Amino acid sequence: MAITSHDPIPTSQLDGAVKDYSRDKVYVLTALFLGVLTVVEVLTYAFPDFPAWSGNLVIAVLMILMAIKFFTVVYIFMHLRFDKPILSWIFWAGLGLAAGVYFVVMCTFRIFWPGSHG
Amino acid sequence: MANAVQAHESVAQADAHAPHAHIDHDTNTGISNTKLGMWLFLASECLLFGGLITTYLLYKHPLEGPTPKEIFDIPFTSTSSFVLLMSSLTMVLAVSAIERGDHQRLRIWLGATALLGATFISGQIYEFTVFVREGLGFTTSRFSSAFYTLTGFHGVHVTVGIIMLMSLVLLSLRGKLPEHRSETVEIIGLYWHFVDVVWIFIFAVVYLIP
Repeated sequence: MAITSHDPIPTSQLDGAVKDYSRDKVYVLTALFLGVLTVVEVLTYAFPDFPAWSGNLVIAVLMILMAIKFFTVVYIFMHLRFDKPILSWIFWAGLGLAAGVYFVVMCTFRIFWPGSHG
Repeated sequence: MANAVQAHESVAQADAHAPHAHIDHDTNTGISNTKLGMWLFLASECLLFGGLITTYLLYKHPLEGPTPKEIFDIPFTSTSSFVLLMSSLTMVLAVSAIERGDHQRLRIWLGATALLGATFISGQIYEFTVFVREGLGFTTSRFSSAFYTLTGFHGVHVTVGIIMLMSLVLLSLRGKLPEHRSETVEIIGLYWHFVDVVWIFIFAVVYLIP
């Protein structure tokens, strides 16, 4: 029986590579994990006096949560973990360049100095 | 002739069902030029959004007009953020579906992604409308200009993504998106996920960090 591009290929004809598609479960679990992190982020706003993120600690907590979410999406959803290293290098080079350039810009404007806003 | 057609089908099937990251293309890097181009584009986008976010951070303390704390509706924006986050899941499931050759699910997941993206954009338009009613126009303060430019640019990126997703659905309906072209879906998926990670950053830095 000829298989056209529109027909799902019968399981009996699939090669071993299809096992990789148990990845769908990984994707769903990853999304749940990201959802939970988002809930924690919102809780920092709803309960600002909670000891784990009270005062200036909230900035560090939010930055860490944001970084975890960022790297999770990039590595798992964008497949960077499974892809060729050159793609990681390209992306991190762009991100690193942006981070470096704009850190210098913010220092130039003395954004990290107390009382220098406005 | 019949053998050649059969061989072509075998290659197409193997190509469609091989783990995507392991396909070697006939280029110096072993990566297709379009995929490499998309990653280079995303790297350059880091600089674009980095500039916009830095400008916002420099100007986030307004000298006049409403302050961020006065106007931001965090529960509403949190819901929008969650919607966009879930659209990344539907996008990656669409990529997975076409790699399996499941075209019906491909269209369902692509449609769901576009719908979630449209929901996010609707929320953003509603949010902007409320802000303008509360006296925060584009030129009200340097904070408002930086805020609207940053979130507006992101919104434009989401809108472009929705157009690309709908184009994929149309291509699939016309039978012009066979399994061996699954990389097209993956590349548009890369763009979509990038738009999502940018929002992860914006949500924390602009809305949540006091």
